[in-house]
Amino acid sequence: MSNATVVLDAGDGNITARIHNNHVVFPVLSYTYPLKLLSPRIQQDGVAVVYMMTYGGGLVGGDRISLSINVEQDAQLVLLSQGSTKVFKARSGVRAAARSTARPPDSTTMQRLDVSIAAGGALFLLPDPVTCFRNASYRQAQTFRLAHGASAALLDWYTSGRRARGEEWAFARYYSVNEVFVSSVRSARDVVLLEAMGTESASDVCGEFLPRRTLADRMGPYSCYATLLLYGPLVQGVIRELEDRVQKITVFQVREPLDVLWSLSPVSGQTNGRIVRVAGKETEEVKKWLSDALRGGLVSVIGDEVYSKTFI
Amino acid sequence: MQVDQETYLLLLLSDAHLPTGSFVASAGLESTAAHALFHVPATPPGSDTLAFLRNSVDTYARSTLPFARDAHRVTTAYASGEMTELDEALQALSRLDALYNASTLNHGFTRPPFLMLKTPTTYLPLLDERENRAGALMAALKLRVRRGDSDAPGHLPICWGVLAGVLGLTVDHGAYIHLFLHARGVLSAAIRMNALGPYAAQQLLLHAVKHMVDDALTSTAHVVSRALQDEIDPEHAEDRLPATTWPLGDLLAARHDLLHSRIFNS
Repeated sequence: MSNATVVLDAGDGNITARIHNNHVVFPVLSYTYPLKLLSPRIQQDGVAVVYMMTYGGGLVGGDRISLSINVEQDAQLVLLSQGSTKVFKARSGVRAAARSTARPPDSTTMQRLDVSIAAGGALFLLPDPVTCFRNASYRQAQTFRLAHGASAALLDWYTSGRRARGEEWAFARYYSVNEVFVSSVRSARDVVLLEAMGTESASDVCGEFLPRRTLADRMGPYSCYATLLLYGPLVQGVIRELEDRVQKITVFQVREPLDVLWSLSPVSGQTNGRIVRVAGKETEEVKKWLSDALRGGLVSVIGDEVYSKTFI
Repeated sequence: MQVDQETYLLLLLSDAHLPTGSFVASAGLESTAAHALFHVPATPPGSDTLAFLRNSVDTYARSTLPFARDAHRVTTAYASGEMTELDEALQALSRLDALYNASTLNHGFTRPPFLMLKTPTTYLPLLDERENRAGALMAALKLRVRRGDSDAPGHLPICWGVLAGVLGLTVDHGAYIHLFLHARGVLSAAIRMNALGPYAAQQLLLHAVKHMVDDALTSTAHVVSRALQDEIDPEHAEDRLPATTWPLGDLLAARHDLLHSRIFNS
């Protein structure tokens, strides 16, 4: 499956999706360990599905994934994963997936996604959430460049860890940058930095008045957070449904925190764009919320068969 | 007793309830209370206010203060002649405004209109010759914001940075006051919500707030907005980009408009 003319480093991947006779074909679909890409056959015209996977189902400190995607005119690509991306803490020694270029070993796991979407094209990025295990350090940078008339539904979400093991926001660091450009103008730059050792652990004098706090103190009682960016003509159905839903909400003073919270806000410079934020006490509840909220608007674009593969 | 100019300005500014009188915005506190994540009264008293303050100050310093610092630096560079053209300075401020817009994806934040920009005329007699260039920048920016120019929305941190630069404060002092006023604004909202009384608020300001503001400033001094450089690779800029450190706070603030009854605008 490798494209022989391109030299790929460990964890690199490339996808080009193109419309040909109303089917989506892949002139480029290449990947190297630990990244694996798989595209199942589907019936629906005009849309294709690619699963992004990592060997062993997880990443450790020092692993680096870098995926470039080019969605050409009128092609629709749905990007999924198979299970939550698990991020383990650093291990000593050099990884098999270490980069060929001389680079000091790093305890951070890095994922990078660079996407271009042409007019009429669409990317539906609907992976499972990232789960960072105890003491893991994770960083991701996702850049999306949309042409005028391109569409995108970009889901980026993460959980508090392996709750069965008592991990509740027990990772060392989570850092995520999501940037969206429309016609080369930046519309969004959403950056989240969660560090176990925050400013409040600095000095002893500080400690006297301000007791040490954990990440759980600022994230709780919620254990799953999601951000969904929506742009372009093909997601207007989704946006309309969400606006209807939000109109129906009136928040009266509650005694206990709600199980799921969500908000809908405009994005800069784009009247046809929105950002949705969701938080839930249980990942399953956030998953269910997302699945319900997107179904109506997306099934009419990508069809039932493809939609049924999402949010499993 | 003689006070130097800068000290006097600091006294005036810290007394000012810029830009909105501190009774309009709760920095998301009202929404947090409605969602049962902030209790009135808390047990022990004041504990929820302290927790909210720590989260709010920490994320504000990391996400928003860099824009104020950068606007301040642009203003100082223009006022001193280091940046020669007025247009260059206005363009730089415009880029900061645009990037702040793209970074603050939460419509619950208020904008300060140009009342922020009117204030310096009160202080102008105290300024030295730099006031001519600085005054010109202020006037030009004010005009753009008033006109509703799309590239001059006039967001609070940018306006604050310009104000602090025009008044000749150091960048560090400007940032300090801005963060202090943010904390003080949250406490004013908490008092109005009966979460704690004015004396308890003063105690928090005296001890806890001082520490948290000092710590937040130290740990974010290196963060720059990156509006004024060409596009940077986010992968490599990681330690220096503005970021939110409290996603729950953003979510709650964005839900403010859904509250059935509210005494604050945001």
